[in-house]
Amino acid sequence: MSSAGTKLGTQDSAVPQTKLRALLVEDNALDAALVVRALFKDGFDVAADVVQDEAAFTRMLRSHPPEIVLADYNLPTWKGMEVLKVLRSEGLDIPMILVSGALGDVTAVECIKQGATDYVLKDGLARLPEVVRRALREKHERGLRLQAERDLAKKAEELARSNADLEQFAYVASHDLQEPLRMVAAYTQLLGERFRGKLGEDGDKFIGYASEGAQRMQVLIQDLLAFSRVGRKESAGGSVDCNLVMKEVLRTLESAIQESHAVVTQGDLPEVWADRTQMAQVFQNLIGNAIKFRGKEPPVISVQAEKNGQDWRFSVSDNGIGIPPESAENIFVVFQRLNARSEYPGNGIGLAICKKIIERYGGRIWVESKGGSGSIFKFTLPLPPLEATDGKQA
Amino acid sequence: MKTGLRVLHVDDNPADLGLAREALVESARHTEIASVEDGMEAMAYLDRRGKYVNAIRPDLVILDLSLPKQDGHAVLTAIKAQPELRRIPVVIFSSSQLGKDIERCYDLGANCYVGKPGNLKDFFSAVKSIEEFWCGFVSLPRQGE
Repeated sequence: MSSAGTKLGTQDSAVPQTKLRALLVEDNALDAALVVRALFKDGFDVAADVVQDEAAFTRMLRSHPPEIVLADYNLPTWKGMEVLKVLRSEGLDIPMILVSGALGDVTAVECIKQGATDYVLKDGLARLPEVVRRALREKHERGLRLQAERDLAKKAEELARSNADLEQFAYVASHDLQEPLRMVAAYTQLLGERFRGKLGEDGDKFIGYASEGAQRMQVLIQDLLAFSRVGRKESAGGSVDCNLVMKEVLRTLESAIQESHAVVTQGDLPEVWADRTQMAQVFQNLIGNAIKFRGKEPPVISVQAEKNGQDWRFSVSDNGIGIPPESAENIFVVFQRLNARSEYPGNGIGLAICKKIIERYGGRIWVESKGGSGSIFKFTLPLPPLEATDGKQA
Repeated sequence: MKTGLRVLHVDDNPADLGLAREALVESARHTEIASVEDGMEAMAYLDRRGKYVNAIRPDLVILDLSLPKQDGHAVLTAIKAQPELRRIPVVIFSSSQLGKDIERCYDLGANCYVGKPGNLKDFFSAVKSIEEFWCGFVSLPRQGE
């Protein structure tokens, strides 16, 4: 037998067969023939190359990649298990089945641990076709799964890209809209001032509408930009002490708190993994809303946090006008407003920004109705990774 | 009659040039505003080249950043690089509020940076404040020939 390999074939068969290209690692020609015959009897049209050393095996792998490798465990010049190393180093996922004489259970288990698909004893070759079939099926399924994973990863990447594109678009569009709009707003205002009373009552009114519309649109665009900035901010996050953030927020809201005679209480708040400025935005929006949407009584607002599984769960509760349950979802959508602009000013961007920020750091935000009056906004943030609390590296 | 100070306003948007003029219509300072709409024109004016041979050097430059041909940063750099121009205060008047734009302008020697307000009243008061401060309050170097 030459080291280039020997050809064995079953093409002369009259029975319809499943084609199978096999590479046999075998020093005994008779055994090789028995292996091929065992497969042939069970419906395989086998084209087999037979090799018995590493050089020939590698050459054959490259020139005629097989669907399956059937290797003897003991060869005079080579160990059958070395086959696996070659397959790995060639980067090939080809099932390898040991076909061997006596093989102890321990050895067999060890071979499978090392990556052999299965083993068949030479005096039990009748089992071989089924083993081969299963190996091929498993490989096929492995391929399908891999393909599915690749497809999924590609989809995820496409989605992320299209999201980024959309965000970029929203940013550029709103940014570029600002300039011409500034002209419209400024000149309608100027027109209104210079020609007040000279264009008749209607004239003043019309210019007033145009001017108000332009100014409202300016605010909307600024809000949109603020919203899109949440995702654009290049901050990987860091450890943020919510007690400090709250202190800041209460200072910012000081005049609103005083005017409304609001009482804000808070429990001990944790450190979370987020962006400090953005966390301040979240608390400021939630507390600001609690003050803005107050009922007849002065606002009573409570900010708490508790550990819940792998998350911190924050709550901001108030005694304000509350939110009807059917609107609980809507309020987090950009530019959704539940109340008349004249009663409660604002564009409905605050909660959308909160949602975007919280989700950016792996949390969730929702609102629970308190029944009679008031609402509780709740949000979660994952417990900080260990290195955030323990590692605080120097 | 008292002659006011001379301001060169550089902005590619005629609407903004117009608004700035409107802002100073009622001013008692008689500030004279010359306007050009791109960076090359601005430099020609300051260097008194071409049709600006007889232009009088301004006491103050109000400079937008996004300009065709030669942008505001380049104009600012050129002004601050020329000994005979570098004393002229340059007020950047831009709608950009990006930190990097603002920092770069100060790095290049801008004398101050004012954002263009979106609202008419604020825009007028910004322009009036610039005039009030630079043409009334501060002591400027004498324009020597």
